[in-house]
Amino acid sequence: MTEVQTRQRSQVLWAAGGVAVVVVLAALTRYLEQQVPVFAKGTWLGGVAKSVEYPVYAILLGLLGNAVLTGLGFRDRLAAGFRTEFFIKTGLVLLGASINFAVIVKAAGPAIAQAFLLITLVFGFTWWLGGKLGIDAKLRALLASAVSICGVSAAIAAAGAVQARREQLAYTASMVIIFALPSIFLLPLAVDALNLPTAVAGAWIGGNIDTTAAVSAAGAIVGEEALQIATIVKTTQNALLGVVAVALTAYFALKVERTGEAKVSGRALWERFPKFVLGFLAASVVATVFLESGGDKTLITTVNDLRTLFLILAFVSIGLEFRVAPLREAGWRPIGVFASATVFNLLVGLGLASVLFAGFSSS
Amino acid sequence: MSAEEGVDRERGLALNEDWAATIAGLVLLALVLARIVPGWLVP
Repeated sequence: MTEVQTRQRSQVLWAAGGVAVVVVLAALTRYLEQQVPVFAKGTWLGGVAKSVEYPVYAILLGLLGNAVLTGLGFRDRLAAGFRTEFFIKTGLVLLGASINFAVIVKAAGPAIAQAFLLITLVFGFTWWLGGKLGIDAKLRALLASAVSICGVSAAIAAAGAVQARREQLAYTASMVIIFALPSIFLLPLAVDALNLPTAVAGAWIGGNIDTTAAVSAAGAIVGEEALQIATIVKTTQNALLGVVAVALTAYFALKVERTGEAKVSGRALWERFPKFVLGFLAASVVATVFLESGGDKTLITTVNDLRTLFLILAFVSIGLEFRVAPLREAGWRPIGVFASATVFNLLVGLGLASVLFAGFSSS
Repeated sequence: MSAEEGVDRERGLALNEDWAATIAGLVLLALVLARIVPGWLVP
C-alpha cells in the first residue's frame, strides 16, 4: 500500500470514528430526553425537566463531547465525521412529509416576500458597513451572504463565486456557528417574552438565525407549528442562494476584479441551487397525496420520528463543530460587522414577520 | 493545496452532501411508506 493510500485509509477511519461519536451522543440525547422527565417526576425539577426539548440536550452533549475530544487531542481528526449539513438537510427533507402541501403553497407568498426583502436589506446593510470599516471586498461578500441568506452554505457558495481564500471561509463559518448557538436559546425566550403568535415566531426565527440547523433547533424549542413555518421561510431563503451567488460572480468579475468575464448562465444558477429544497417539496407532495388517498397516518408518525433522529444528529454535530480560535485570528472589525448585521436582521426580521405573517394559520 | 483549491473542495463537498441528503431523505420516506422500515425500528 502506498503512503497516499495509507493516509487516505486513515482519514476515512477517523471520519467513521467521528460519525460514531455523533451517533453515540445522539443515542444519549434520545435517552436523556425520554428518561429525565421520568426520573425528575415528583421532584422540584419535574416541571423544568418536562419542558427541556431535545435540541437542548443534543447541543449541550455536543459541546461537552467537543471539550473532551479537544482535551484528548482527537477533535480535529474526527471532525470530518461531524456532517451537520448532511444530517440537517436529510432531516428537512423528512420534515417536508409532515407539512401538508397546501400549507407550503399558502405560506409561499409571505415567505418569498420576507426572504426577498430581508436578503436585500441585510445584505445591503452588511456590505455597506463592511465597506465603511475597510473590510476586504471578498470577506464582505462572505459575511453579507452568511448573515443574510443561510449561514455556512451561503458562505461556501459566495466563497466560490468571489474566489475567496480558504481562511476567509473558515473564519466566516466559525462566526456563523458562534452567533447561531446562543440565538437557538435566546430567540425562543424572546418569543415568549414578546408573546408572539406561533406563525410570526416561526417566520422570525426562520428569517433571522443564519444557519439552517440552528433555525430548526430554535423552531423545535418553540413548537411544531413554529418549526414548520420557520423551515418554510428558511427553505425559501436557501432557494434564493443561487441567485445571490450568480449576482456576486457577475459583480466581482465586472466591477471588483474587472476581468470582463461573468459566467451568468442558467447552468450556474442550477449548480448553486440547494437541491434539498426540491426533496423537501417532493416529500410534502408525496405525504399529502398519500394521506388524502386514505394512507395510514401512523406511517407519517414514523417518518416524523426518523426526522427527529436526523435533527438530533445535526444538533449534536453543531456542538461538536463549535470553535472559538478562528475569531481571535481575524480581529474585531469583522466581528463588529457581523454582530451589527445580526442586530439589524433581528429588528427588520421581526417587523417583516409581524406584518407578513399576521393572522397566518396553517390549519 | 492552494487556498482556491480548498474553497473548490468545500464547494464540491457541499454540493455532494446536498444531493446525498435529498436522496437519503426521499429513500427513507419511500421505505417507511412502503412499510419496509417498521415503526419499531426507529428509536
